[in-house]
Amino acid sequence: MATSMAAALAASLPAPSAAPVPAAPTYETIPASMSKVIDIEAEIPLMIVQLDGMVVTKIIKHAREAPSTTAHGLLLGLDLDGTLEVSNSFPLPHHSGDDDEKSTKSVARYQASMLRSLKEVQADDSVVGFYQATTLGAFFNQTLVDTQAIHQDKLRHGGIVIVHDLSQTARGNASFRAFRLTSNFLAAYKKQNFSTTSLIQHRLTFSSILEEVPLKIRTNPLLSSFIGTMTEPSLSSGLDIAPATATNSTIPASFAALDLGTSGLTRNLEQIVDAVDNYRTEEGNLAYLSRQIARERGRADNYVAKRKEENQARVAQGLAPLPEEDIARLFKIPAEPSRLESMLLLGQIDAFGKSLGGMASTGLVKMYGAKAGSGTST
Amino acid sequence: MPLGPSSSAVHIQGNTTGAAPNTARTPTSVTIHPVALFSILDHYLRRTDAQDRVIGTLLGTRTETEVEVHSSFAVLHSETSEQVAVDMEYHRTMYELHHKVNPKEVIVGWYSTGSNLNTYSALIQNFYSQETAPHQAIHVAVNTGLEEGGLAGVKAYVSSPVGVFPKPENCVFVPVPVELRFHDAERSGVDLLTNTVASATSTTSQPVAELEILEQSIQNISTMLDRCLEYVQAVLSGEKKGDPAIGRYLMDTLGASTEDLEKGGFNASLQDTLMISYLANLVRSQAEVSSRLALATAT
Repeated sequence: MATSMAAALAASLPAPSAAPVPAAPTYETIPASMSKVIDIEAEIPLMIVQLDGMVVTKIIKHAREAPSTTAHGLLLGLDLDGTLEVSNSFPLPHHSGDDDEKSTKSVARYQASMLRSLKEVQADDSVVGFYQATTLGAFFNQTLVDTQAIHQDKLRHGGIVIVHDLSQTARGNASFRAFRLTSNFLAAYKKQNFSTTSLIQHRLTFSSILEEVPLKIRTNPLLSSFIGTMTEPSLSSGLDIAPATATNSTIPASFAALDLGTSGLTRNLEQIVDAVDNYRTEEGNLAYLSRQIARERGRADNYVAKRKEENQARVAQGLAPLPEEDIARLFKIPAEPSRLESMLLLGQIDAFGKSLGGMASTGLVKMYGAKAGSGTST
Repeated sequence: MPLGPSSSAVHIQGNTTGAAPNTARTPTSVTIHPVALFSILDHYLRRTDAQDRVIGTLLGTRTETEVEVHSSFAVLHSETSEQVAVDMEYHRTMYELHHKVNPKEVIVGWYSTGSNLNTYSALIQNFYSQETAPHQAIHVAVNTGLEEGGLAGVKAYVSSPVGVFPKPENCVFVPVPVELRFHDAERSGVDLLTNTVASATSTTSQPVAELEILEQSIQNISTMLDRCLEYVQAVLSGEKKGDPAIGRYLMDTLGASTEDLEKGGFNASLQDTLMISYLANLVRSQAEVSSRLALATAT
């Protein structure tokens, strides 16, 4: 009776369904061909940076539209076997520098929330570096160095900075370059010591602050096929139209590189003059500081010499010598000034000079080209 | 610069002079920035297996009759045979994030991939119309060209309600002409991508020297001149029948005046350019020397 009762009870209860076992994560075995690419500790050094076509357009758009010339944003992607694939990017808000503490916090919140959102739509969400827009090639500045130094500490592989030159892009050569801080510079930066001796010790000039990483642009097959369709010309239907509009395509061929105008030259020259002025001011400051150091040191030396003479006299008279250790207390010799700023300014001058030289040389070629064209037509 | 295959649709510009001033006019043309388009393609690449199509929000600016799409972002959504769901909260968050960087861009409409417009499209359109009120939302359908029989291209639509009692799931999508538009300064970026596409490995290395780009353009022009010359000679020798239209085009193009160059402007300009080149080199060597001297002072 009791047993049948129990059986009836059991039957009335819902069948004890198999307890929902949390699905154990299944790990796929990594194929042997990929095993040497596994790089958990980030030991394979970065050899090349690969920039996706979408990121190219994103950076160009942001750089052009940003209110200041220093548009910057974060790069997202993955590294695989020495290639850092940058597959996405997003701009960071431009902060006007009014409230530093507050703006850093809001930028951090923005960044975290953007990364979370991108993850939800299967986009890459690991930060691999940042990008920075610049004009006329002069990207050396304190913020870039500071940010990259932080990144190089925190990010896997140290991260990279991609520099995009706005003015060069406007002249018909979209320019993207990838950089990293050199280990020598980083060593000096960590000690916050940019005195002359430290510079000599680390062999630092402006050209050895950053090392360039080779960069290539890649378009994925879908984008390739889409652009391919867009560049295909088709005859337009109008009957009486100008030669320029006789064929139609979404992206017509362009000859912007052949433009003879040299509008950027004046601005470039002005920028050089400004940079040289800044450099002179900075050098003046440095010279003033080193004169002050020399003066203080001279006074300290004088004092020591005097004290020594006095002591000798006292010893000759048979008195106890006076103590000699209080020089450091009496004279405050200022620390040697940091030469980082002047080094960065020199780097800027060099970059301006380089872009000016480049512009002049292409200008020459274009002028001779135009002359040759006009010579044959007459 | 039209996008996509030509259609036979007639674009009618409604006469709105009699309309009440507070109702917005229907946009008559749509322009798309490459960033928005490429983001859509990237989103399509990153879809999950279960997703047939992807949708997202279009951001941009609008003038009275024209809508400019400047950027886009992906939005989560799910479609089953019974229902469609759009993650509105996600859409809001993303919009606020974008708004922080680019306050000028507002929601103008939505995109989807594939070219089939169905009831769900109408429902989503209804949702976005609420977002863009009082303006009309636009819908951009990107055909990625991956489905069989579909040509890659972009189409834009505005919607209008249909039926005696307007219901959200019923609407007519009216095609609007759509163009790709970017700023002149961004031209070289697009060129860079088209060059990348043309190369065999779909990659190009950077940075490219400016002279190289110049060389390419000049070679390009020289081959085009050769083609013209070949054609003209063929016509002259009677092998081909001359086309008067082409003749006129050639005359218009090649008849450009180069008088300024011959009037001594060339030499003056040449001297300026050379001077600038010397100056640039001088500045650079000074900078180099100066940085070395900074190292030498202490020794």
